[in-house]
Amino acid sequence: MREGRLLRGVHRTHTGVHPALESVLAAILGLLVGAVIMLLWGYDPWQAYWALLKGAFGGFGYEIPTSVARGVPLILTALTFSICLRAGMFNIGAEGQMYVGAAAAVTVAYLRLPYPWHLLVGVLLAAAAGAIWSLGPALLKLTRGVSEVISTIMFNWISRFLVFYLVAYVLVDPRQAQRTVRIPFSARFPILVPGTDLSAAVYMALGFALLVYFLLWHTAVGYEVRAAGLNPTAARYGGISIRRTVLLSFALGGVAAGLAGAATTMGLPPTYAIISGLPDLMNLGFDGMAVAMVGRNHPIGILFAALFFGGLNAGGRVMQFYGENPVPLEMVRVVMGTIVLAMAIPELVRIFPALVRAGRALVRRAGPAQGEEA
Amino acid sequence: MRKWLGLALVVALVAAPAAAQALKGKVAVVLDVGGRGDLSFNDMGFKGTDKAAKDFKLTMVEVQNATAADYLPNLRNLARSREYDLIICVGFLLGDALEQTAREFPTQKFAIIDSVVDAPNVMSIVFRENEMSALIGALAAMAAAHHGYPKAGVVLGIEIPVLYHFEAGFRFGMDWGNKKYTAVTGKPANVGLLYTYTGSFSDIALGKAATEAMLAQGAVGVYNVAGPLGIGDLEAITEYHRNKGTRSGPPYYFGVDANQDWMGKGMHGLASGMKRVDVGCYMAVEAVVKGTFKGGVVSLGLKEKGVGISRYEDLLEFIEFGVSAGALKPEDIAETILNWQANRKTLPDWIWAAIDELEAGILAGTIKVPTADSLVEMQAIRARYTLGAP
Repeated sequence: MREGRLLRGVHRTHTGVHPALESVLAAILGLLVGAVIMLLWGYDPWQAYWALLKGAFGGFGYEIPTSVARGVPLILTALTFSICLRAGMFNIGAEGQMYVGAAAAVTVAYLRLPYPWHLLVGVLLAAAAGAIWSLGPALLKLTRGVSEVISTIMFNWISRFLVFYLVAYVLVDPRQAQRTVRIPFSARFPILVPGTDLSAAVYMALGFALLVYFLLWHTAVGYEVRAAGLNPTAARYGGISIRRTVLLSFALGGVAAGLAGAATTMGLPPTYAIISGLPDLMNLGFDGMAVAMVGRNHPIGILFAALFFGGLNAGGRVMQFYGENPVPLEMVRVVMGTIVLAMAIPELVRIFPALVRAGRALVRRAGPAQGEEA
Repeated sequence: MRKWLGLALVVALVAAPAAAQALKGKVAVVLDVGGRGDLSFNDMGFKGTDKAAKDFKLTMVEVQNATAADYLPNLRNLARSREYDLIICVGFLLGDALEQTAREFPTQKFAIIDSVVDAPNVMSIVFRENEMSALIGALAAMAAAHHGYPKAGVVLGIEIPVLYHFEAGFRFGMDWGNKKYTAVTGKPANVGLLYTYTGSFSDIALGKAATEAMLAQGAVGVYNVAGPLGIGDLEAITEYHRNKGTRSGPPYYFGVDANQDWMGKGMHGLASGMKRVDVGCYMAVEAVVKGTFKGGVVSLGLKEKGVGISRYEDLLEFIEFGVSAGALKPEDIAETILNWQANRKTLPDWIWAAIDELEAGILAGTIKVPTADSLVEMQAIRARYTLGAP
């Protein structure tokens, strides 16, 4: 095992090259395919990529903070997926856990507290809400053996409609029925760079990523989580409580997703509220899974991957209006998808056997039920 | 005297190049998350800006938003580039982001549709939707009375003040239509209202479900006040006709924003309450080009041709719009027009004349259509025009 040379927990690559180099090569491949697609549809790829680069990382005063701001919630939802994957589970529930976290964060609007405490209460509420929501699938798995893949997806839907309801009927602003009440100034993350979206929520995301890294690779309980993930049978034989590792990784993932909800409601101008239909939250949880893949399910890798995603997003906005023949948003998204897919392939290949195992387990469980009907 | 002349000359010389210089030749239109292809709000914003750009020889840039979190960065990106004479925001959801951006870039001109942003560099374009909704309401009530249906329905989106304009106008119009029917035919008309706020501007299935419920209660037709949900409304009406084996007549579909009469090959769309977002966008660009741009609220109603009930010319214009959007096949145009004409013939001429009469009254100011901007005002109107649905 060459594991742990650079950072603990970064796996050896199939190609044998350094993971960072492999990611760069994959990105170049993705960019090339994207360029060919744009060329086929009559857009100028050089100009488009120049707009992408300028829009993403063109300057420290505006472009880079904007890219970082977009990456903040993605760091957190990516951690949700990665923590559970390290524990041997596919947690697809970041999306729903983030929704309840966001709704919980909005409830601080009904409290009156001075600045740092008000913010802190909101963050804690969001974290707690995310963790509690994640316990549903965890307990179903532990007590009834329900596959977490299915239950987390179903919990996403419950959460989505629950938060739809809360936004429309409970947290609604009576004067502006299209959104909830706004989070007051005393509970907002301060803006770090004026004129951009970047708020102090970035420290929360960074801090949580480092905490997860420390917990998984430098504590006994983290060792147990990873051991259970690598081989649950051997881990149980070695005296590790699987019940504990499942609960812990789900709860930790739920906290991360809840914090993502706090970051988007308390730390993102201009509305500081949830809009009906959740257009500002939608898909951040699923995008986080792609970030986790690109970041090789490692907390530090995720930080870089989220910055990359934020940059793609910020630069993609600029591609829409830059130059003589700008690229429409639909095409921008096709190109982004190509790049992201190319970069996710190495990690997807690595976890493929685990994916297959999860699929087989599902089929096995479904099997007897069908037999009984027949 | 000579001194004044000289001064006037200096002013003219200074002012003229300044006005010409001010134009950079580019306008941007920013759409809300719904994006292009809604055949309604966003497409009309695009259509109007595009036409203005062509007429005044400007370059138009279209910016879409993947999520609501993109509104503010996109507006900032455009304003920062300082390349645009005008940035148009289509939709009230962009209001918060524009409020912030307008403050950060006080020299950039903006326009917004459907929202009021209080800043000297923002032209806020709002519509008197109560006026055309009154025409639709009157038509629905008289159609129901004529065909012996007990109700007329409205399917609305999220309960926001803009939609109160529609509901208030529709209620007034139904009341007017009931009275008119009694006055003309001598038979009492007491058509009631069915209305639902679905809480969504995107969930087409909700529109279909709400319409089905209304048809089951005897609605003569449904007025769509929820943008894309109208596709669901029309689907429910089309299915109802298919089950009954009818091709025209009640139940009818009443479209909104764009002229939606041509949808579904014009079989069931009787009339649309048009809210010409394109006219608003065009006006804003024109004001900038002519140097008459001012911040503040611009209200467009029947008089300004900002709203209206659909007529034959509008059908032709929007059939073209549907064809260019790929939603209507060119070979179906003739059939669509025939279907639409057949559907309109299911009502007697005097009803159509009565609609013209109501429109003329509103235009002349002899008929005042009430409106509501808050829940309190809406409740007062609901109490006044109960129509069996307070």
